[in-house]
Amino acid sequence: MAKIKIATDWLAACAGCHMSLLDMDERLVQLLDKIEITSSPITDLKHPPRDGVTVGILTGTVNTTTHLEVARVMRERCQLLVSLGDCSVLGGVPLMRNQCNMEEALRRAYIETESTVEGIIPRSEELGKPIFARPLDQVVKVDVYLPGCPPSADAIHFVICELLEGRVPVLKNQNLKYD
Amino acid sequence: MDKVVNIRINGRHIRARAGQTVMEAAKAAGIDIPSLCHHPAVKPIGACRICVVEIERQRGLQTACTFPVTEGMRVETESPKVVEERKFILEMLFSEGNHYCPFCESSGDCELQALAYRYGLDHWIYPNPGESKPMDGTREYFIMDHNRCILCRRCIRACSELAANNTLGVKFRGAKTVICADGGLPFGSSSCVSCGTCLQICPTGALIDRVSAYAGRESQVERTKSVCLFCSVGCGSEIITRAGRILRVEGEWEEHNNGVLCAKGRFQPFKEERLRIESPLVRKDGRLQPASWEEALDTLAQAIRKSPNKKVGAWTTCRTLNLTLSEFVAVFMGKVGANIGVLELTLARFKLPMGGALNDLLSADTILVTGADPLVDHPVIGYHIKRACMNGGRLIIVSDNHNSMKRFAAQTFPLNEMGKAVKMCQESAMPVVLYGEETPPDQAEKLVALQKKAHFIPLFPESNGFHAKALGLRANFSPGQMETVYLLLEDTTLSEEKIKQARGAKFLAVHATFHSPLTEVADVVLPALLWYEHEGSLYNLEGKKVAVRQAVSLAEGLIPENEVLTQLAARL
Repeated sequence: MAKIKIATDWLAACAGCHMSLLDMDERLVQLLDKIEITSSPITDLKHPPRDGVTVGILTGTVNTTTHLEVARVMRERCQLLVSLGDCSVLGGVPLMRNQCNMEEALRRAYIETESTVEGIIPRSEELGKPIFARPLDQVVKVDVYLPGCPPSADAIHFVICELLEGRVPVLKNQNLKYD
Repeated sequence: MDKVVNIRINGRHIRARAGQTVMEAAKAAGIDIPSLCHHPAVKPIGACRICVVEIERQRGLQTACTFPVTEGMRVETESPKVVEERKFILEMLFSEGNHYCPFCESSGDCELQALAYRYGLDHWIYPNPGESKPMDGTREYFIMDHNRCILCRRCIRACSELAANNTLGVKFRGAKTVICADGGLPFGSSSCVSCGTCLQICPTGALIDRVSAYAGRESQVERTKSVCLFCSVGCGSEIITRAGRILRVEGEWEEHNNGVLCAKGRFQPFKEERLRIESPLVRKDGRLQPASWEEALDTLAQAIRKSPNKKVGAWTTCRTLNLTLSEFVAVFMGKVGANIGVLELTLARFKLPMGGALNDLLSADTILVTGADPLVDHPVIGYHIKRACMNGGRLIIVSDNHNSMKRFAAQTFPLNEMGKAVKMCQESAMPVVLYGEETPPDQAEKLVALQKKAHFIPLFPESNGFHAKALGLRANFSPGQMETVYLLLEDTTLSEEKIKQARGAKFLAVHATFHSPLTEVADVVLPALLWYEHEGSLYNLEGKKVAVRQAVSLAEGLIPENEVLTQLAARL
């Protein structure tokens, strides 16, 4: 049987969710009998393949115009989209930024932080423009949600296995955490 | 006896009591109906709707916390319709304010979060507009974050029903609604008395204790049921600790204080800045120097032996526990034959009845307060009196001094008109008399006329005053005429006047928790325990024996006061 293709990428994320994914340890190796991870932000191949994958996994908040594009591409190229982690599912920590003025937030982040010396706010044309931060499902349709900051390796393993079995995962007990 | 009502919950036959709500009947039968705005200590108002249940022949779903049981009622608490409705209510709650768990102080202990887990909310359906409400950090001890508030109004009810302070309410309408103090003042400049009952009852992270915030979740802390030692009310409390460190104190809901504490017992102990005495000190070459317990006790025993019995004086604070008090009497009166007494007044002059309870206040129609200012010195009694007044009780104050309860009083008499107040009590059905030290004995005698009719609550100045009085100890402080003086202070401080008197003694031993001007002039200093380190019992002003429990293990070098006294006795 052909392997199920899975692609993953991140938006405004801290990488914690992908760390949790790696935390599956040997279970990840076992899973590789059944799945092929085509691309991820922590491998050489970053973008989901043009001919598509079965499952797409996105972490992080939709925070800039670039994220809008990443989310759109992933949605187009996958059959099932998994929103992984609090930032992606609920908006998470980056949502705090919505409560203040954008320029204020940029100044605080790039110039006023205690460890910064002669900071500048990056304004290159090539960079995405910051937008009102929001969870993933406000931008594209999401099929499966897995909140958690980060979700545990067990929860991620559970969701992937359920999908491989052709079931919609129902999160309960230790698999459902918001922190 | 209450009438039995037969109902069915989820098909199970349950015998409930008439007058119970569906929630109460279900709880008694071990059936869990979720609740958010409801708390057993305050009146149900059905504000949050999370407890909705299906009741046969009722239109729509009904809130279990407010709906009374009736004969033959059939209730479904987790039917698909109910579950769907509860999820919808949760979705609505999450759609307003800041309910992101990862950076919330209450995550892990939050009742809203627990319900979202219970009903499997893996994402939110309604977008959150992300509008921010201001935070209020104007209070000294705790912070209000309106963004975490779900407007359940538990705090408002705790403030009015339990603390009877009526500070809290709501302002604005719809999505802009916020909890406010006195119609819109910053909390810190409002009529709030910082009793902290709202903080304790809040189901989410909207109210945050400054000291214990982020210091430990419920699953990481230990709770020790104890008694507050900061006045004679002896409020039931829980001391919350983590790894031997005290985090905060909460009121015990099931005790006579109904979960309420006051700022003195809940917050102020955490503001302690005095320097702790960590080991015994003995004066050598004119200087106080650290010493072993053996050396310190030997020095003290020697001084006691050298002085004639009549020239030895020993005084203790009434804040000590029962065993220490009895040991104190046994050692200094029994063994040494010294002059003994207490440092605070014990209502020893009064031959009035005792034994009235805080609960008697709540059902009283007339409350007579004389010679005391409960709101200042026994705040939880003050709150109970205000509660009684709100329920139609009549407060009579007999006093010549300023009294902070005056504005709640129906009548105020000067002390020499005690007779009029007594007459008003005689004419009422359920009077309660509270008396303090400032009542002159001749006026107090007039209260004897009420002894068959009224409940009497003695307002002892210090926590174990009841026991000190029972032991016959009197406030006969006269160290100046003594050669050797032993003072057991615990964590109390002596007035400058008393310190001056104490300096008159030839040999002074001070057994105290903190360094003070008095310990500086002492010849022997013995370290005493703090309120959360004691293990034992005391008699509260109701005359009830209550258990004081040790919440953390003792630091090396600390010995409980009663053991110190036993060790001293062995040397005499």
